[in-house]
Amino acid sequence: MTLHPKERGGLNRKEFLVRAAGAASLATGVGGILAACSSETTASSPTGTGGELLGPGGLPIARPDKRVTMPLWEDPIESGLEPETGGTFTVFNYPAYFYKKLLKDFGKKYNVDVQYTAFDNISSGIQRLASGAVTPDVMEMTPDNLSRAVAGKLIKPLNLDYIPNLKKNVWPDLVSPFYDVDSHYTVPYTIYATGIFWRNDKVSEDIASMSQPWDIFWQSQKYKGKVALLSEERETIGMALLRKGITDINTEDPARIDQAVADLKELYGVCNIKVGDVQYQSIPEGTAWLNQAWSGDPIAAYIYYLPKGTPASALSYWKAEKGKTPVQNDCFSICKTTKKPVLSHLFLNFLLDNGVSYSNFVNFNGYQPPINEIDPESLVKKGIVPENLTTAVLTNDDLGPDSLQYGTLTARGQQLWQDGYSDFTAAG
Amino acid sequence: MYRRWLWPGFAFPGVLWLILLFAVPFYAVVAVAFGSVDPVLLQPVPLWNPLEWNVGWVSEVLHRLAPGGNLSGVAVRTIEYVAIALALSVLIGYPVAYYIARHAGRMKNLLLVLIILPLWISYLMRMLAWVNLLAPEGYVNRFLTYTHVLSQPRDWLGGQPSTVILALVYGYIPYFILPLFAALDRIDRSHLEAARDLGASPWSTFRTVTLPLSKAGILGGAVLITLPMFGDYYTPNIVSQAPTTSMIGNQIDFYFHYGGQPTIGAAITVVLALFLTALMAYYMWTIHRAAREVPQV
Repeated sequence: MTLHPKERGGLNRKEFLVRAAGAASLATGVGGILAACSSETTASSPTGTGGELLGPGGLPIARPDKRVTMPLWEDPIESGLEPETGGTFTVFNYPAYFYKKLLKDFGKKYNVDVQYTAFDNISSGIQRLASGAVTPDVMEMTPDNLSRAVAGKLIKPLNLDYIPNLKKNVWPDLVSPFYDVDSHYTVPYTIYATGIFWRNDKVSEDIASMSQPWDIFWQSQKYKGKVALLSEERETIGMALLRKGITDINTEDPARIDQAVADLKELYGVCNIKVGDVQYQSIPEGTAWLNQAWSGDPIAAYIYYLPKGTPASALSYWKAEKGKTPVQNDCFSICKTTKKPVLSHLFLNFLLDNGVSYSNFVNFNGYQPPINEIDPESLVKKGIVPENLTTAVLTNDDLGPDSLQYGTLTARGQQLWQDGYSDFTAAG
Repeated sequence: MYRRWLWPGFAFPGVLWLILLFAVPFYAVVAVAFGSVDPVLLQPVPLWNPLEWNVGWVSEVLHRLAPGGNLSGVAVRTIEYVAIALALSVLIGYPVAYYIARHAGRMKNLLLVLIILPLWISYLMRMLAWVNLLAPEGYVNRFLTYTHVLSQPRDWLGGQPSTVILALVYGYIPYFILPLFAALDRIDRSHLEAARDLGASPWSTFRTVTLPLSKAGILGGAVLITLPMFGDYYTPNIVSQAPTTSMIGNQIDFYFHYGGQPTIGAAITVVLALFLTALMAYYMWTIHRAAREVPQV
């Protein structure tokens, strides 16, 4: 039986809207009650006795000109122990950031099954480690996240007796780096600067000779749809700061960050800016022409992604001189969850071996290890890097107290940078 | 007593499934949204007891989503994209579902398989395939320039809203067609014949009989595709990458995966869920009303 409209027991549209509004009011009322609960959202910026900002766990914040020794939360393992064998050895790292053949070689040498577990980024990797969702033996670490991992007791102190390759093969400035003096917790893995990567057969400007090369992004109207920035809050906002001559790329001044974000927003109208991390592929393939990029990208582009018919001379890379370009390095640490602490030390020594680090670099990774044997001249001589891309190769001279590096921020600072990047990517 | 619990007992596995895989995880998101953040590890610290909730994050998100807030633009853009994608899905999907239900004859099963076939391939793979097809030198541009529809290749992947919307339509339209087909296929042909016998034209029969009787199918399909569209973030990531075409799901992804404010990601999720609940309520009310209107035999 079909009901007559007058007999319907349900809600009509008007009643529905009225009741929905009522529900909304109720929700607001509930919101009012909940307002009696706490409403804290702003993180603090703890300071030390001298007024200096402190990082996670109250640890001092390291900068290239402010060296920090990380406290030992337990003693390192004793020297002279035999490595553990058998079972699984887990490496926790970015996806596709270690040559699997080398991992197999390591497993074969020490009779372990090497498993590679990937994380999206260091931050989520640390969260997964802290929550117990993963139990790796060693993991990739970055200097700006190091104090979190130490304060959270997530990584173990190192006994450098097991890692002779550190002093033997690694650049002097990274044997005892500013962020981890005496290498209590880390050994360096790769090094890279941030610069501009472009197709010089598509982009007519001579970017390297511009008075402020970062300006190219604000003058790229004719390359609309082919221009991208790295999808990283530190890199995008930091670039906008550097463009304005501000070299304090770890600033926690809201006004400076707001201005940088406002500058970045201009790029919507200029070139419908994109954000992404596939410049090592998109630039050589020609789907992008102009990109903010890490120095490992042009090398990976040349080795793996340059299509037949596209000459290497079509690729260009620029980075600013020392003190005006961010230089970062990745590291490796031993996780607190390891059941094979001796073998973990030997793995860190293994990745600093000249042959292993070179093979990882040229056969798979494209990102340069900070190893003494690897220098621009030898790379050009061996045909690993074309002469026009030697700007993408770094040396120990690029480091030092007057260099720039994105460092640890206070919780408040991290909030400011993250919200600024959200503002930029939301394009509100 | 035994008979009383027998039939409801069949629902037990489903109810358990819902509790374990929907209610508990969703409450966990709510507890994170009203929780705090570990200052060292920047991990979310959920507050399970509502009496201890910290309303700051949800309040902050509401403030940002309000007109003038920095997330208002992305919220409006998301609603626009989903609305246009839904409208296109109806315009494209309805004739397809209607044809299969009414006129496909022996081809019906084959056509249904063809509709379902793309679902055998991962959504991401299908989207990545489109990246190649839509490339400046890709087949789409080659075809459109060859047929003189376009005088020169279009930069489909240059951060175009139209590409994101079309990708959403492509990705989700099978989920719209299938429930709609089921609704159209269930319509008793005698109703249509009765309308024609009473002098209604084919258009009038469609408008006054078929369309109202398929309304539940349209709404069901619409719900099935709009809910995931609202949370989608990988489609704009893959086919555009421009902030000007980002959706609210991109912000949820950003806050959950990068850095120290997962609570903001959880708070956006909760607010989005409330908004979608309002849409669902309208759907439930419409279905309820439609059920009461169906002739009882």
